[in-house]
Amino acid sequence: MASAVDAVGNPIPTSTVLTASAKNIGIRCMPENVEFLKCKKKDPNPEKCLDKGKEVTRCVLGLLKDLHQRCTKEMDEYVGCMYYHTNEFDLCRKEQEAFEKSCPFK
Amino acid sequence: MTEAAIRKKPGMASVKDMPILQDGPPPGGFPPVRYARRIPNKGPSAMAIFLAAFGAFSYGMYQVGQGNKMRRALKEEKYAARRAILPLLQAEEDERFVKEWKKYLEYEAEVMKDVPGWKVGESVYNSGRWMPPATGELRPDVW
Repeated sequence: MASAVDAVGNPIPTSTVLTASAKNIGIRCMPENVEFLKCKKKDPNPEKCLDKGKEVTRCVLGLLKDLHQRCTKEMDEYVGCMYYHTNEFDLCRKEQEAFEKSCPFK
Repeated sequence: MTEAAIRKKPGMASVKDMPILQDGPPPGGFPPVRYARRIPNKGPSAMAIFLAAFGAFSYGMYQVGQGNKMRRALKEEKYAARRAILPLLQAEEDERFVKEWKKYLEYEAEVMKDVPGWKVGESVYNSGRWMPPATGELRPDVW
């Protein structure tokens, strides 16, 4: 499996990486997500919500990079386990606990 | 040898006087045979059996409920993860769509530049809402 980071060291937002850090995203990027969804509910036109979408992308990608820098090994193991088991949470409990212990939610 | 040689009686005149050899009951007769029904009346009563069955059934249904609770928690975890990453995916798709849509609008303007009174990119619906494009394929490279 290709590594979770690209050449520069930023984590690639694949489905595996995203589901592995979904809990963190849900907690740390909640304001941006909620704003984007409210904008979408008001008007589904993509051109109207581009700026809020940029906020969401900036927050999530920054969070991924921060997580990867703080606990590289645990995150890599968790992402590897998720990749092997196709994003099945119940089969990766050990790696999930190690990851959450080393990178606790703020 | 012949029957007469085996069963002979001293002083026998002919075969017709041989002693009789018969299969019969032992002396004193056979012991009496029991043929009366004797179904015992002990064991669990009807109420006891019913309660045991009902107890096993309710225990099993309780375990089913507990298992459903656990499965629901697992499903909730999966859905919560999907809810968390949905805005990012939608934002990325919006960026890609806006780029493609601008290219398409330029193409439409070039094709229809000689048609009088044509508003490029005008919505074909009257409701005022934005609708996703319905003509052709949304993502020909994917499909």
